[in-house]
Amino acid sequence: MSTTLRGAADPMARRAADGDRKRRRFPWWTLFGVVAVIALVIGSGVLGSSAPTAGQRALAIETDIRCPSCEDLSVAQSSAPTAVAVRATVQRQIAEGRSDQQIESYLESRYGASIELDPPASGWTLLVWLVPLLAGVGGLAVVTTVLIRRHVTVLDEAAAGDVGSIGSVSDDAELPTDPDRLADRRAFLVRSLSDADAEYLAGDLSDRDYLALRRRDMKRLAALDAHGSSALPGPETPAVLSAAGPAVATASAVTSSAVTAATAATAATVTSAATAERPRRGRRSWWFLAGAVAAFTVALVVAVTQFSSNRLPGQTPTGSVSLSPSQQTEETLAQAASDEDQGQVEQAASLYQDVLDQHPANEVALAQLGWIEFETGHSTGDRSLLADARAKLDRAVKLDPQDYAARLYLGTVLLQQNGDASAAVAQFALFHADGPPAALVSQAAPVIRQAYTAAGDPVPAWLPANS
Amino acid sequence: MTMTEDRPSGTRARHPVRWIATVALVVVAGLVAVLATRPPASVAEVDSPLLGNLAPTLSGTTLSGSPFVLPSRPGHYVVVNFFASWCEPCRQEGPQLVRFAFEHSRTNDAQLVSVVFDDTDSSASAYQAQLGATWPTLRADGALALSYGVRAPPTTFVIAPDGRLAAEVIAPVTASDLDQVIATVKARRP
Repeated sequence: MSTTLRGAADPMARRAADGDRKRRRFPWWTLFGVVAVIALVIGSGVLGSSAPTAGQRALAIETDIRCPSCEDLSVAQSSAPTAVAVRATVQRQIAEGRSDQQIESYLESRYGASIELDPPASGWTLLVWLVPLLAGVGGLAVVTTVLIRRHVTVLDEAAAGDVGSIGSVSDDAELPTDPDRLADRRAFLVRSLSDADAEYLAGDLSDRDYLALRRRDMKRLAALDAHGSSALPGPETPAVLSAAGPAVATASAVTSSAVTAATAATAATVTSAATAERPRRGRRSWWFLAGAVAAFTVALVVAVTQFSSNRLPGQTPTGSVSLSPSQQTEETLAQAASDEDQGQVEQAASLYQDVLDQHPANEVALAQLGWIEFETGHSTGDRSLLADARAKLDRAVKLDPQDYAARLYLGTVLLQQNGDASAAVAQFALFHADGPPAALVSQAAPVIRQAYTAAGDPVPAWLPANS
Repeated sequence: MTMTEDRPSGTRARHPVRWIATVALVVVAGLVAVLATRPPASVAEVDSPLLGNLAPTLSGTTLSGSPFVLPSRPGHYVVVNFFASWCEPCRQEGPQLVRFAFEHSRTNDAQLVSVVFDDTDSSASAYQAQLGATWPTLRADGALALSYGVRAPPTTFVIAPDGRLAAEVIAPVTASDLDQVIATVKARRP
């Protein structure tokens, strides 16, 4: 009995003093968080820097695009004919050298913004992105606050000790008078204290719960002993006690003194341990909390930036929310090219002109607008437009001699407008030297062949036959 | 009690739950009112991103094997109908398309072109023959459907004489629906 009670006085001291054990047990969840963050970072592929293959690009786009005739499936997940058509288009456009943005822009121009599985982070749909983030941060703040308050309360209660109240509470109304039942009740309370000690030492009980349980049982034990001595006064007491057996008598005798001593010892231990540890434990807990918050924030940022869309190497983590002036120009040029491909020539010309208004020396806009003006002037017979086109193409070639598109356009103009096959051949030779994509060479082959034939030169070997 | 006593005299007790319930009720009532008073979708004309732009090139092979290319500026209204023989709403609108084609064959101001969507040539041919369709019907072409942004049959487009896409309808249409859409487009483009 005395062993049990002494054991009951020890756990706080043992647990408080046995710092190594606590440290071995405590950081598991922190370790779990760190492992989760590392796994997220590695899994996201942010550390990889190799350029994606065409297949990887196609898969990334197809994962982001909704199957047009399905409810909530991506093109990559669906075998519907519309999804098959989208997959074929994506793969064809990648082979033609289109950027991911151009391809997605093309699909959006057909089906609208809803073809993107991720809602745009603008306007009302911005809420879809913000609400979970705010809820997560808010929830984390609440949990953190509750944890801190609870920790502080436990330390305060431990420091307060609350020794004086022990023994002042009595449950006389429920206390039995029968010595056997008294002994049973007492044995139950002693077992309860012992169990609480074991659970606390095993880490299954928090400081707060352990103190509450212990205080309750000690009070009941003290009340039981007080009730036992008052309910059975006079000369009968020894007889009753001896009739109840030596164990009870011993227990009663030991308890009345031991409980007081043990409670005082416990309170002293708790108070001294808590007082000594309070600043250290507070700081350590703050560090753990700060670490947890930091780990959660990092995980959140990585998750949002990585899993909100399939970002590929070279793309910005924030998407296209805020574009630099050069990015805006690229965006406009991509949009203009997309419009041009879709036959929206006027719109494309307007966008190219917008770029030239801002950047008069943009060779891409000069070449493309020059070509649009040439085609329009050629079909309408507008000489001034043809002159403008020629001026723009000359300037584009001068600004960027390695621009194969400008060379191709200029060569075509020289052939079809000026009838100067030799000059056209020279431009086409430079066009080839600038390394154009095979698809473009194949597309331009008839005009190039015509120029070489008209100039009396042999058709070059790099030109595809009969294309 | 204490809070009530501490509150300055004259102020009424606040009931946050009551307020939240009232706001929720008003929002739900508003939503119900909006949904209940929406016009019936007899002609489900949708806001396609293609509208107002030049229509994508409409070309292909007809079910009879002839090549077909719609001029970029057709000079008259063209109704392009994506359909499938297995699609019940398409079967529902079929007779109406026959009627539309017949009525406008006399005035020559509108042309009808059908495009098979996710169906076999044989099934589509049998259906068109049974329907008595005399207008050109193009074989299924995923790329063509994609260029028009078709999600499911029936989907019908109206191309203006200048080649621009004027309307998209994603429900079974009637001849009068199509006439109404064309009239609206004409009114918008005097």
